[in-house]
Parts: sequence; C-alpha cells; structure tokens
Amino acid sequence: MKILVCIKQVPDMESRFKVNAGGNWYDESDLAWRMNEYDEYAVEQAVQLKEQLGDAPEVTVLSIGPDRVVEPIKKALAMGCDRAVHVQDAAAASKDPWQIASIIAAYARDKDFDLLLTGMQSQDRGSAQVGVTVAEQLGLPCATTLVGLAYDNGTVIAKRELEGGLKGVVKLKTPALLTCQLGLNTPRYPTLPNIMKAKKKEVLAIPVAELLTEQELTGTAGAYPPPKKGCGTVLEGDLGAMADRLIGILKEKTAVMR
Amino acid sequence: MEYTREIYWNLGHGVVLPMYLFSMAAVAVCAWGFYRRLPVYRLGKPLERLDQLPRRAAGMVRNVLAQSRVLRVYDPGLLHSVFFWAFGLLFIGTLLVMAQADFSQPVLGVVFLKGAFYKLFSLVLDLAGFAALVMLGGLLVRRFAVKPEGLETIRDDYVIHSLLFAIILTGFFAEGLRMAATEIGINPDLARFSPVGLLVGRLFLGMTPAHLALTHKILWWVHFFLVMGFVAAIPFTKLRHIFTTSANYFLADLGPKGAIAGIDLEDESVEQFGAARVTDLSWKDIFDADACTSCKRCQDRCPAHATGKPLSPMQLVKKIGETAFNTPEAALAAAVGEEALWSCTTCRACQEICPASIEHVNKIIEMRRNLALMEGAFPGDEVRTAVSNVEVNGNPFGLAYAGRGDWAEGLDVTVMGEGGEVDILYFVGCYASFDKRNREIARSFIAICNAAGVRVGILGKEEKCCGEPARKLGNEYLYQTVARENIEVIKGYGVKRIVTTCPHCFNTLGRDYRDLGLEVPVEHYTTYIGALIRNDRLALRPQQFDFTYHDSCYLGRYMDIVDEPREVLAAAGGHLTEMERSGYESFCCSAGGGRILAEEKIGSRINVARVQMARETGAPLLVSNCPFCLTMFEDGIKTGGCEGELVVRDLAEIVAERLEKAAPAQL
Repeated sequence: MKILVCIKQVPDMESRFKVNAGGNWYDESDLAWRMNEYDEYAVEQAVQLKEQLGDAPEVTVLSIGPDRVVEPIKKALAMGCDRAVHVQDAAAASKDPWQIASIIAAYARDKDFDLLLTGMQSQDRGSAQVGVTVAEQLGLPCATTLVGLAYDNGTVIAKRELEGGLKGVVKLKTPALLTCQLGLNTPRYPTLPNIMKAKKKEVLAIPVAELLTEQELTGTAGAYPPPKKGCGTVLEGDLGAMADRLIGILKEKTAVMR
Repeated sequence: MEYTREIYWNLGHGVVLPMYLFSMAAVAVCAWGFYRRLPVYRLGKPLERLDQLPRRAAGMVRNVLAQSRVLRVYDPGLLHSVFFWAFGLLFIGTLLVMAQADFSQPVLGVVFLKGAFYKLFSLVLDLAGFAALVMLGGLLVRRFAVKPEGLETIRDDYVIHSLLFAIILTGFFAEGLRMAATEIGINPDLARFSPVGLLVGRLFLGMTPAHLALTHKILWWVHFFLVMGFVAAIPFTKLRHIFTTSANYFLADLGPKGAIAGIDLEDESVEQFGAARVTDLSWKDIFDADACTSCKRCQDRCPAHATGKPLSPMQLVKKIGETAFNTPEAALAAAVGEEALWSCTTCRACQEICPASIEHVNKIIEMRRNLALMEGAFPGDEVRTAVSNVEVNGNPFGLAYAGRGDWAEGLDVTVMGEGGEVDILYFVGCYASFDKRNREIARSFIAICNAAGVRVGILGKEEKCCGEPARKLGNEYLYQTVARENIEVIKGYGVKRIVTTCPHCFNTLGRDYRDLGLEVPVEHYTTYIGALIRNDRLALRPQQFDFTYHDSCYLGRYMDIVDEPREVLAAAGGHLTEMERSGYESFCCSAGGGRILAEEKIGSRINVARVQMARETGAPLLVSNCPFCLTMFEDGIKTGGCEGELVVRDLAEIVAERLEKAAPAQL
C-alpha cells in the first residue's frame, strides 16, 4: 500500500502580516513558519494507518515551495512518514490552486498511490480547492473535511463534517483522496529517535518545471487587511441603567428583541 | 587505691577467643549483607563520583561527625545527633578497652585505662550511655506517641528501637552488677565517676557474690550478643544508613547546584533517551534509595505533596530502590507514577533539606526525559500547545516573535540588531516581553538602569525562550535547539555582561548555557541593582512600606541569593515581615519545572497556598523577584480571595518608584 500526504508550509497565524510590495500577497519578512494545521492531521492519519496495517504502507510526504519547506517535510518524516518529495518552487505562493493541484497530480499520476491525504484547506490562502482538484485531475473518488476514518482492505469509511454540526458517513474504494479537518486526530509530537531517523530519510528534490504544465486559472488581483471597523462600546455606571441601555441598543440595532 | 578496673572481670580471658569469633562472624554477616547489594547498584549507568577525594572526604567528615545536615531540622535532628555522638563515644570506649585488653597489655605490657584518664573514661562513657538512653527515649516518644504526620513506622523501627534500648540497658546492668561487686562500698571515690552505673549497682547490693557473678555473666553475654545482632542487622534494616548515608555524603554531587547532565544529540548510536527503566539511571540514583532514612523531611516540604498531588520525593526515591531490587526490568514511570513525575515543580526543597544528600530533582527530569523524548508525552494538551509555540515563535504564548521587543518602544533601550554601544545585555525572557503584567518588570528595570546611567541592550525579536521550561519538562531537544540559537546571537554581538529579570533565564544562561559554550557572566537583576546601590551609582529616595518577601526557588535555593534582595528592599524603605517558610525553606509558587505552562488539575492550588502564607504575615504587600512567581501570585490573590488584603509586586517595581533621579510618574 502506498500513501501520499501533501503538506504546505504556512505562516503562523499570530504573525504580523504586511502586504507585499506587489500588493497581491503578504510580505514574507518577520513571519514564523509552520506546517499547515490541517495537513498535520493528514500526516498523523497516514502514520496511524501505517501503524494499523503493521508498517506495510509506504508513506510519502510532498510539499511545494522554496527551501524553507524542508522544515515541515522533516517534521512529517519525524512524525513517521517514510520518504519525501520536495517540489522546488520559489514562486509557489503566487501559483493558483489549479496549478498547485496540477503539480501534485503530475507527480502522483504514475505512482499508483492507494490513498492521497491533504488538509481540507490551507491556513493562509484557504481556497480548499487543491485536494479536490488533485482528485479530479487523477480521476479519483474524493471525500472532504474528514473527522473520522476507518480503513479495511481497500475500503475507506470516512466521517465528514457537514454544515450545522451534522456529520455524514461515506464509503470509498481506494485509490481515493481524502481531505482532513480539525477533530480527525491529535497530531503526535515527534520523538527524539524519530527526529534523528528523519535526518537520514530521503528527500527527493524535483524542480517545479519538471511537473508544471498548466497556466493559472485564477489570478490574485490584490491583498489588503480588512478595513478597521468601529470599536465596541463599553457601558459603564449603575447596573440597572446599564441593563436598560443594553436593552435599548439590542432593540434599536439588532433583531434579537423582535 | 588504684583507679582502674579489671577488664574481663568475672569472665576470664577465656572469653576472648569466642568473643572475637562471634565478632568476626557478625562483621562478616554485615559485610555480606552489603556485598549482595552491590550488583543492584551496578545495574545503574556509570557516573564519576570518586574525583576530588579530599573535598569529598571533608564533606563526609563534616556531615557525619558534625551532623550538619541532620541538625537542619532541629528537634528530631538534635535527638539523632546527640544519640549519634553518645553512641560514637561508647564505640570509641569499647575500642579503647579492646586496644588495652587484647593488644597493648598482653603484647607490650602497657595499661592506659588507669588513674585520672580512667576516671574521665568512666565518666564520659557512663554519661554517654545515659544521654543515648534519653535521646532514644525522645525518638521513641516521637515515633510511637507523637507520630508526626507522614512518618512511616515499619518492622525495622521496632527492631532497631528494641535492639538499641536492650543494648544500652543491658550495658548499664552489666556495669551496675560489676560495680556492686567491685566498686560500691569498696572504691567509692572511683564509683562516683560512673553515676548511672552506681545507681543501677545499688539495686543489687543485697545479692550474694555468687548470684552477682552469675547474673553479671549472663547479662554480659546478652549485651554482647545484642551488639553482635546489631552489627549483623545493619545491612538488612534501615540501620544500613549508618554506612550508606555516610557514603552518600562522600558521593555527593559537587557540581554547580541545579546542573543537569546534557544529552549528546549528535551521537547517533544512542537510542534510549532519559530513564525508562532503572537501568537507565545512574548507579548513584539507585544507591540514593539505600541512603534514604525515610525521615520524610522532603515530603514535608514538597509543595506538590502539600497540595494533594500524587508526589512524595521520599516515596519516589523509595520506589526507584524497590524497582531496582525487585523488578529492575519494570517501566519506571509506571512504578513511580506519571502524574507524580509531572507534579514536580523542581523547587529543590526536597534536595536542599535532605539529610542524606539524595538528589531527587534530576531523577525526575531523567524520567520526564523518557516520557518527553521517547513518547512525545506532555502533562497536558495545553503544554503541548505551549511547547509547539516555543518551537514556532520562540515563546510559549504563541505570539508573533517579531513583537518580542515591542514593550521597549519609546524607552531608552538599544536593540542589538540596530547597532550601538551597551553596558549590559538585558535578556528579557518571555514573560517580561509579552505578558502585560510582567512588562512592568522590564520597564521598571529599564527605568532603574537609566537612572544609574547604564546603557541597556536587548535582542528584541532575535531573543527566544531560554528553553528552561522545555528542559525541565524533559524536552532536551527543544532546549538545546533554542539555547544554541540564543547563544549564537549573543556571541555575535560580543556581549560582555548579561542581566536577567527572570531567575529561570538566570539559571539557564548563567549555568546551563556554559555547557553549550556561552561564557559571558550572567547576573540576576536583584544583585545587579544591589551592586549599583552599594557602589553609589544608584540613589534611592526611601519611602516606608511594610512587606513580606517571597524567595523564588531558582534565586534562593538554586543560586543562594537570599540576603541581597532583602537588602535592596530595606534600602528602598521596606519593613519586612518574614513568612514562616522563607529563604532556603521557601515554598514554591507552583510554576517551576515547566509547570508554568501547565494547568494545575490535581489537588488544591499551590499558588493559593503560598498567597495565604503571605497574607498570614499581615503585610499588605508581597514582593517577588520572578515573573513566574508574579504571575502565579496575581492569580492566587484573585482565586484565593485575597483581593483588597494583599497585592503582589516585583522588586524592580518597588525600586523604580523610589529613584532619586528620573522621577517616574508616581513620585
């Protein structure tokens, strides 16, 4: 069994974001980087599956980006992935989800992966399109926003998170692609022996030009911080008076009292 | 009349041979008893503890003969010490008798137990026996009548108390019987020099000489066999502490207090990190269990134990010993309890007070290392998050690393990366950098330095967590990662002197970073400010205030800085009311050992307990010297219902408000 996990390195969301000089993305200075949260669930799920099946599956982790993306690749290897592919692309951030999906699909097409795992979306761009587009390009069944997964002999039973707190259960035959959501698992903390082992695992570097044949379909026109909205109102003074004023505000400005 | 006595009176020299044979047998049993423990000690890993022999010997002599560590807890310590000294005198007396009766007299014809020396000998031994009896009585009352909380009484205690009482009493009776026959009424001038023997002897004056002789002979042998029993019992009961605790003084850790052995992360042949089994600990860690006397002084002082958590340093040490002797292959964390391991605040109160020089804290860290490095375990999910935050942003809050120096905006501080001459590098630490309340410490420290004309530099966004909480939680890998990054940055700026406001940073940079190549002198701000005042570089305008002072563990116990902060506060006009637990006996705030990152889920809150102790002094102000303590006490005052009665402030804030120059807004 072969599993491919696709991960992305994203800025920590607490970082100080500034719009870049081109005005179409964020500037990369002063950012702290980490593995996309949802991709960590994907890595963890792949490693859990490997453990469940007695080490039989071979887990490959793939990431696209500049040299710094080797960091999360190493972390995925330390968590238990077997080998890695680094698609070298200094301009990955400016590629649209179609192009990113095409790169992954181009790599995976002839590799006979039984299962492809991705995060349900990235924390920075948040398009939630890469996973499903890879499935589309490879002609694979796909289930998104997984919060539960059971695998048995070529069949995946996936629990999906739906709107309004509902859950849905779907059954897929492998090969298939799954995108992972918060709640699927708790990503493990790499142990030191595994960190040491990860240093020796193969990281295959592939220049992006070897895999990319598609033009972008959706360009990013601009990036800007949300406009500052008016700040909140702090009520002060006598408790009864404050309650009266609050009721007044709720009546005038909201629908809750109607 | 000659002042001496006939040795082997009533027994004859025929006893010498059987006496020596039995003695040798007893000593052989004792030696064999220890010998069979050696393989268990050898289960542990090698550790060098036989260097610096003169210093080790001096330490052992001081602690054994002067009972220095035993006497730190005065009442039971005094009972033990006087008993020890008395028993030691009796042992020396016995040796003198042996030396004369079996060597100097038969071989050289020399008799020294006579005349004035014999009188002194007689009096000293008689009184020593009495003192031993009284002390033993005191210890008996303590153990069996007073029953201090936590003191465990086991089979050994009954055996030891019975043996010792019997030995002393049969000794006095044998003496009394001999005196009734040979001294009382015959040589009254000499009899006076055995006052207790005289009293006992008078009981037997009515006996016939034949009866006296027979009774004396029987008691002498009973006394002898009891003593032989005592010798033979040493390795099989708690009496073994006579040798093991003494040896432990010799084998003590002579390195800097609080030093932790690093792990060579480059050595790829190592596959086991930390202690999963007792065989992963050092031989000394196993030996420590044998040196433990179960005095429970550690347990009495453990903040985790005092607040209902499943940790007792004494039990932990014992369980390591039990595991080594009974099930050496067993998982250590399960044997001592994972929750017990995570409960430790590494406050060092146990180790500081231990009369047997046992090293508790590093055992816990070794076991935590196994959990952290081999299993990726944390005491809670909140700790996992905080540790990940340190990895990504260099601080446990997960705030943007780029904002680390924001607190200094508008202040007269040089950010090293932007160039400029500085006198000191202020290593700010995570709390004073990011935490709103603790930023007051940083700002106050800068105000103080400005007033003293000291040019201060900070690393700003290039500074990272010093790694202390991660290290104490067992994550040596993360500690070394951040430490090496910090060291590289610090070295890059050619810094001459570092000052910290956090005792944890202070210990880590000043001691632990030495192992990784940082040589720059590091100081805590309390002593730095103290020196500025002493050298007339900083003038204070004292304002009177009443306060109580909390010694943080990592400043007091770990770094022996106890008096200087008090002197600074006195110079600021403070009137100090001490808490019962202060100085080396200070009670942890709960945040050490990486617990600052963890929620306290078991038992009651340590910080609330400490705040209550502060409130009991009646002082309206609690002064701390550590950002972790300040954070914990702010919380403890709120959750412990002390708002309005007690406020907590950092020493730097107190000083900054009383600067002669610079005049902050409050003045």
